[in-house]
Amino acid sequence: MSAAVIEATGLTKTFPMPAGPVTALRNVSFSVSPDEYVAVSGPSGCGKSTLLHLLGSVDTATSGTLLFDGRDISTLPDAERSRIRLTQIGFVFQRFYLLPMLTAWENVELPQGEAGVSKPERRARTAELLDYVGLSQRAQHRPSQLSGGEMQRVAIARALANSPRLLLADEPTGELDQSTGEQIAELLDRVHADGNAIVVVTHDPAIAARAKRQLKMRDGEIVAGAPA
Amino acid sequence: MNSFHFAWRSLFRQPVRAALAIAGVAAIGALLFDMLLLSQGMLISFRDLLDDGGFDIRILATPSTPISGPRMADAAATAAAVEALPEVDAVVPMRIGQARIVGPDSVNLSLIGAVTSRRDAWTVVEGVDLDDLIGNDDPPMVINRNIAEELTLAPGGTVTIRSECTERYSVLPTVDFVVSGIAEFPFDPVTQMTAAVAMPDFDRACGSVMDEADVFLVATRAGEYPEMAVAAIQRLRPDLHAYSNDQLVDRFQQVGFSYFRQISTVLATITLFFAFLLISVLLTVSVNQRFAEIAALRALGFSRRRIAGDLLWESILMVGTGGLLALPLGLVLAIWLDRILKAMPGIPSDLHFFVLYPAAVILHVALLAAAGALAAAYPVFLASKLPMASTLRNEVVG
Amino acid sequence: MRRRFALLLTTVIALGTASLAGLQPAPAPPSGDVADILVSRQLLESQDLAVGDLIELAADPDGARARAFRVVGSYEPLPDPARFTQQRLEVRLHLQDMVDMLADPTDPQSSESVSAINVALHDPEGELEFRRSVFGRVPGLSVWSTVRGDSANPFVVLEQFHLAIAIVTILASTAFLLALMVMRSDERRETAGILRLIGLRKGRVLTQVLIEGVIIAMVGAMFGIGLALVAQDGFNQFFQWRYDTALVFVRVSPKVAAQCVALAVPLGVVASVVASWTLLRREVLALLRR
Repeated sequence: MSAAVIEATGLTKTFPMPAGPVTALRNVSFSVSPDEYVAVSGPSGCGKSTLLHLLGSVDTATSGTLLFDGRDISTLPDAERSRIRLTQIGFVFQRFYLLPMLTAWENVELPQGEAGVSKPERRARTAELLDYVGLSQRAQHRPSQLSGGEMQRVAIARALANSPRLLLADEPTGELDQSTGEQIAELLDRVHADGNAIVVVTHDPAIAARAKRQLKMRDGEIVAGAPA
Repeated sequence: MNSFHFAWRSLFRQPVRAALAIAGVAAIGALLFDMLLLSQGMLISFRDLLDDGGFDIRILATPSTPISGPRMADAAATAAAVEALPEVDAVVPMRIGQARIVGPDSVNLSLIGAVTSRRDAWTVVEGVDLDDLIGNDDPPMVINRNIAEELTLAPGGTVTIRSECTERYSVLPTVDFVVSGIAEFPFDPVTQMTAAVAMPDFDRACGSVMDEADVFLVATRAGEYPEMAVAAIQRLRPDLHAYSNDQLVDRFQQVGFSYFRQISTVLATITLFFAFLLISVLLTVSVNQRFAEIAALRALGFSRRRIAGDLLWESILMVGTGGLLALPLGLVLAIWLDRILKAMPGIPSDLHFFVLYPAAVILHVALLAAAGALAAAYPVFLASKLPMASTLRNEVVG
Repeated sequence: MRRRFALLLTTVIALGTASLAGLQPAPAPPSGDVADILVSRQLLESQDLAVGDLIELAADPDGARARAFRVVGSYEPLPDPARFTQQRLEVRLHLQDMVDMLADPTDPQSSESVSAINVALHDPEGELEFRRSVFGRVPGLSVWSTVRGDSANPFVVLEQFHLAIAIVTILASTAFLLALMVMRSDERRETAGILRLIGLRKGRVLTQVLIEGVIIAMVGAMFGIGLALVAQDGFNQFFQWRYDTALVFVRVSPKVAAQCVALAVPLGVVASVVASWTLLRREVLALLRR
């Protein structure tokens, strides 16, 4: 196994609540290597999304360390963590979060522009990605003109826009019917097959079953499939 | 897609909302612009009126305005002495009194007596000036358009007046005048009845030769500074009060219609605060509605600075477009408001309350930009401090 | 206490109005020759006068023929919007005292003269007839009406000016209010969809919006009136201090408050309904679609 893209050690996350602090993650340790496809599953409230947010440096852990490419990103300033998210990590959300005023093309092109990619490169990459997710014909459509599955495919293309080393997906089929969900799962398989590391959070056993490695969580802890 | 382009698309994602917000800013901006025009308009207009008269200095007996204060004695000698100053080109002694045109439809008028040999304080628009009327037994008089229209008078017509220009209590005899021309008097209010006669004829109408003046109008020589001439006059006659046009404008600023300058400041402040409040509310509600979208953008790697820049541009676009529309709208509104205010009694018809000047446009832009930037501050703060994880979590749960 | 000073008076009021040149120093008058005089509050304060002080008043700029008066009180000049920027240095004295002071010794008629006679007509409409009648009887007299038309009344002009500003403010507020309501409706798109989905009629949803609009508009109007009540004191105090006048610049009268509510409530309701109607026109599923 090659060096881990991301390596979590003893991650704990506690949320202050009016009724007292709630610990969502307890001492979680695991790593993801560059060619891995990891599925995290478990009941609602078990800490799956919290773990994904920590991995994507969207949130910071109360304690523990998180190494991205061997670098501790939990202590980095916000601007640097933003830069890592922009260029090294791709995010796919349950609710897609496509920008409604932009076309599919513009949604995919947006992160590239932010990363400073030149216009010709952006054009080529956007066309390639929309073709990759099978939406070349829908490039000029706005999200409101797309179906749920199409929106999620655009969201995956957007997540891949800057060729990230790690793709994080939070319940990517949660808003979709079974058939469309399967299409998205197949697309994720293809993304993984093309050499991307993926961590997908899901409570859909069928989706989880597609991953090479499955982690099960309960009460903020990984109870099965934890790394050696 | 840069921040500007992104903000443009963001703002106009809901065209109706954007159009309404811009319309609101335009209306408020127009009001602000008008208040800025009002704050200096009268002073600029008053200054123009003074300058257009062709005289740089006014000499009065007291610091009070002409007519309300005492008159200056030895007018002829004083005028000659002042005119002899090297800085001075011409001096016109002037008397201002009240008179009535006698008849069943008698008319009250302001009667001006002036030494007319050098230059006049009025502009003849029909007929001829006082000195140019030849071959008539009665003394000449120029009247303004209001008298001409009220009494259907034209050059060549005659009027009989009874003056009320002294403190004498006996009723003065009437004097006949022939109308030599119709003139425009720069400080005439819209409904003012004004007539002017030569100083000897004014004395005749007043029943005695008084050799007095209410005011001396002084024109400085070309190339001379009026302030230097004022100083020279004050050295010559320290008992008199000489004012350059600038000094008169300063005095006017302190007393005349300062209410409108004060009210313009108050209304401009309220308007700005109103604009700030409304833009701030619109942007805050807009940001609140887009929390999940902003959190997602942050999760995708957009920096806080970028998010703040987008919102700031959105505010600038909203305020900028509204502010630009406010300029023509404000000018139209200013014409309407000016017409309303000019109905005030005693306002010279050529004096305007709202006058366009470059600094007003610059100030308007600066104030609106400041209001827009301040209004964006809170939503920008909200957006840039938005906790990504909890927002995304709440959105999914919600 | 005897005060001797010179200053310009803006006006002297003695049943009629005339201009006086000023107060001038003069020898003390014999006792018993001191007439009573009222001075304006502004004059009292600016010259540090007190009731009981003796002052000398002259019509002539050089102080000739000055007469002594005793200050028996002060008064607040009638606030005049056309003159409030002027310092009201005024006195009031008996007409005969003023005539005596102004009389020209060389003009025997002057002690029998007044500047003007104010006449109140039984029928103000008969002004023209009265003018012609007086002119026919005494050709030397000038007669003119002191009734000002609305167009030349400073109060009316100011009211029109402020009304115009209020109209623009209302237009701007309406635009902003509509924009806010459109956003608010959009925010509640899903709720509207759910209510329609469970079988509520459009009219029922609209009634709910209407009630909300009325409540918001009422509360907003009340808040606005409260804010205006608080602001009016500050505004009046500032301008009264600035111009040393008793003139009231801002007054939130019941009529103004009623106008405010009468404008705000329908405006709020219409804005709510218009904004909501754009949502309710859509199909239920379109409302629920993300």
